[in-house]
Amino acid sequence: MTDRVDVTRDRKTSSGATRRKVLAGLAAGLALLGSASLPAAAADLTKATLRLKWLPQTQFAGFYVAVAKGYYKDEGIDLTINPGGPNLLAENLVATGADTFGLSGGLDSVFAARDKNLPIVCIGVAHQLTPFVFVARADGPVKTIQDFKGKTVTTWFTGANHVLNAILTKNGIDPALVTIQPQQVSVTPFVDGQVDVITATRYNEFYTIKTRMGEEKLRTFVAEDSGITFPRDTLIVSETTAKEKPDLVKGFLRASIKGWKDAFADPKGAVDTVMALAPTLDRAHQEFQLAEAKKLMVAGKVPEKGLFNIDMDAVKITQDLFVNAKVISKPVDLAATFNSSFLDAIPLADRKP
Amino acid sequence: MSASTLSHPASAPGGSSSLKLLLPLLRLLRGLAILVAVFALWEALVVVFAIRPYYLPRPSVIFAALWQTPAPYVQGFLRTLTETLIGFASGAAFGIGIGLVFFRLRALRELVFPLFIVSQTIPVIAFGALVVLWFGNTLFAKAAIAFYLTFFPVTVNTLLGLESVDPRQEALLRSFGASPRQLMMRLQFPTALPQIFVALRLASSLALVGAIVGEWFGDTVGLGVLLLQGMYTENVVSIWATLLVSAFLGTTFYAVVAGAERLFVFWGAEQ
Amino acid sequence: MSGSAPDTVIAAPRANSRTLQRGVLGIVLFILAWEGIARGFHLPAYTLPAVSDILASIWTKRQILLTAAGFTITEAVVGYVIGALIGVALAVVITLVPMTRAVLLPAATAINSVPVVAYSPLILLWFGIGMPSKFVMVALAVSFTVFLSTLAGFDRVDRRSVDLLRSFGAGRLAILWRLRLPTALPLMAAGLRVSTVRSIIVAIVTEMLGAYGGLGWVIYQAVLQIDFVQVWGAIFVASAASLAFFGLIGFAERRIIFWK
Repeated sequence: MTDRVDVTRDRKTSSGATRRKVLAGLAAGLALLGSASLPAAAADLTKATLRLKWLPQTQFAGFYVAVAKGYYKDEGIDLTINPGGPNLLAENLVATGADTFGLSGGLDSVFAARDKNLPIVCIGVAHQLTPFVFVARADGPVKTIQDFKGKTVTTWFTGANHVLNAILTKNGIDPALVTIQPQQVSVTPFVDGQVDVITATRYNEFYTIKTRMGEEKLRTFVAEDSGITFPRDTLIVSETTAKEKPDLVKGFLRASIKGWKDAFADPKGAVDTVMALAPTLDRAHQEFQLAEAKKLMVAGKVPEKGLFNIDMDAVKITQDLFVNAKVISKPVDLAATFNSSFLDAIPLADRKP
Repeated sequence: MSASTLSHPASAPGGSSSLKLLLPLLRLLRGLAILVAVFALWEALVVVFAIRPYYLPRPSVIFAALWQTPAPYVQGFLRTLTETLIGFASGAAFGIGIGLVFFRLRALRELVFPLFIVSQTIPVIAFGALVVLWFGNTLFAKAAIAFYLTFFPVTVNTLLGLESVDPRQEALLRSFGASPRQLMMRLQFPTALPQIFVALRLASSLALVGAIVGEWFGDTVGLGVLLLQGMYTENVVSIWATLLVSAFLGTTFYAVVAGAERLFVFWGAEQ
Repeated sequence: MSGSAPDTVIAAPRANSRTLQRGVLGIVLFILAWEGIARGFHLPAYTLPAVSDILASIWTKRQILLTAAGFTITEAVVGYVIGALIGVALAVVITLVPMTRAVLLPAATAINSVPVVAYSPLILLWFGIGMPSKFVMVALAVSFTVFLSTLAGFDRVDRRSVDLLRSFGAGRLAILWRLRLPTALPLMAAGLRVSTVRSIIVAIVTEMLGAYGGLGWVIYQAVLQIDFVQVWGAIFVASAASLAFFGLIGFAERRIIFWK
């Protein structure tokens, strides 16, 4: 395995080596592609797709960089990145085989999927910390979590609400005393002062609020301060893929990690790559987003254990949160749901950020 | 003299062909003038009342955005147009075809029509995953949704039109020995045509809706993608820019269908 | 239609019961096929749940679904009424004051040519995520359909009949009321009927983007919690509500047009 990484410098040798490796694992799959008329290079590659949780933006920069630089091709994978959308769930598409890989919502959606018997496996976690914060006005009435009582808080009823409830309970506040409302697409109600506390992802809404109000005017509340954590942006595959194509999964992870490390090393280039796909995005926002994504991805135990590390302690905290909130009916089989073996097959030195 | 010719173009003799050419041009110019006036008024209102750009951006800012990064809007326009056209054409053909079949086979119509109605009560957006599952990430998936929204009104109006044929006229043609085919071509279809075109005009808008909503199921190019991107990054300028491009696409398409209507229904009335 | 009116009236009840039987038969066959496919191939719920499972889930969650349906129906009906009134009013204005046609028709077409869903971010921004934003969205969707079909109906009258009435000294209003309106009724009714279904769908789609309740909200929540049986359950309820609305307007249409 280790010497393979060394050969990847030379495209030709590498694709030959990959061919043999992939052929061993995927004889059946390639047999379908094995038309003699196809050029050799095309026949070498295994087709695969990655379903994102949302549209192209630098939150996913590493994957786009890896495609642009041919890292997946080096691993023998012809990867297509499919964006997400409202009412599209990566778990569903991966479970049915419509997509090979998924960068799905987070531990929340992984748990919900397993709870509903969707045959998916989590092979890595991107954001190690809760990626959203609760924001109040610095000069407003909300100074501490205790002040949430009797105020209007908006949040997403897609997992963030459970984090909010857990924070309130931990701080001895009955959530019934807080007016919790669904949050709309726009942050304007908060900017206009109609709402006391708003939920904001560090990389999207927080940027919007910050640019419209000024960061010094804002006070943030972080879930981790209350001992709660909610890792998100999980990489998933189907049980079938995990069982039958382990080399494909390893190759995907190896290339993705390379892409992300490049994105961290050259953020400007990574933003260029993403903006080439979605030119209507705001450059400053995308640069900020990539920086925030990096912070979330290298947090926790990542410096020692490498990117996409699955922190089982955090997983257990999140699971308790969901069992208590009755979002999932019973604890899931953690050993079957989380599989670090594909990551562990890659040398730790390569995975460290 | 010239004024009266303008107001009654139909009565103009064949010799004034230059006037016939000039008339649509004048209409177009008037339309453009109205458009410019609307944008000027909009710009003025925003400036005078100091409306915040999050509620309503100035049109000049929107046009500047279109001018600076035209590529995504042009690509989106072309992609969405293709999906709309495929969906509209197939939906219209299927709608008219099935309308004719239902008209002939009453039993089939009674068996299937309720299911058609039920199918139209389902919001496709709830089944994003199923659409991707069934049609993949292809242009075809979007066209399929455009088709799904298009065919029903066409079917309904085709049937309605065919049934509005005066039975006495029908009996008259029959008495002259007209075959069912001749009856259809000479009487029933031409009679139904105005109704069908009403549905086609509606369908032209619906096909665009279908294409745009279809693009919400994970795509990279298209006006729907730009809208979604703009909506969630709160890029109000981009939302408006996309709205204007969609309006342009929709209006042009609608005008083409309406133009075809004038052409064909005129011919139909003459029969 | 008018020529054979006596026949139709006599034949109507019989044809209706047969139509109903066949319609029910079609739906029953469809449901049986669905159930058979879902059960026979052991399809997982995320691909296609069995109808019996969906119905069972609707029964267990009836409280939630009823409340949600109440929300959505209110939004749809209020928006529908507003939209229908605007649509008819615009058609009347254009017919009474022909010079407004050159401005109103292209303007309405331009506004309508943008998919209603595309307005949703702006409408949500301007009217909030409560019911008013849904009223506006539904009214937007309904008004154009009604406007277009009503106008087509008004325009359909025979020119000679108009000239004849005019020669008797009838004004535009009288011509509208006596001649254009009765002629337009079937087309108007068709537009009103088609709009019922759209009104419910638009309400649901808007709810999915932001709401305090309603069927769209239930669907959105259920998709994220991967509860596909509940998604289908909410869709069934939405479908039933649309059909009831459609049937109601269809019934009213038959009454009014026969009376005419």
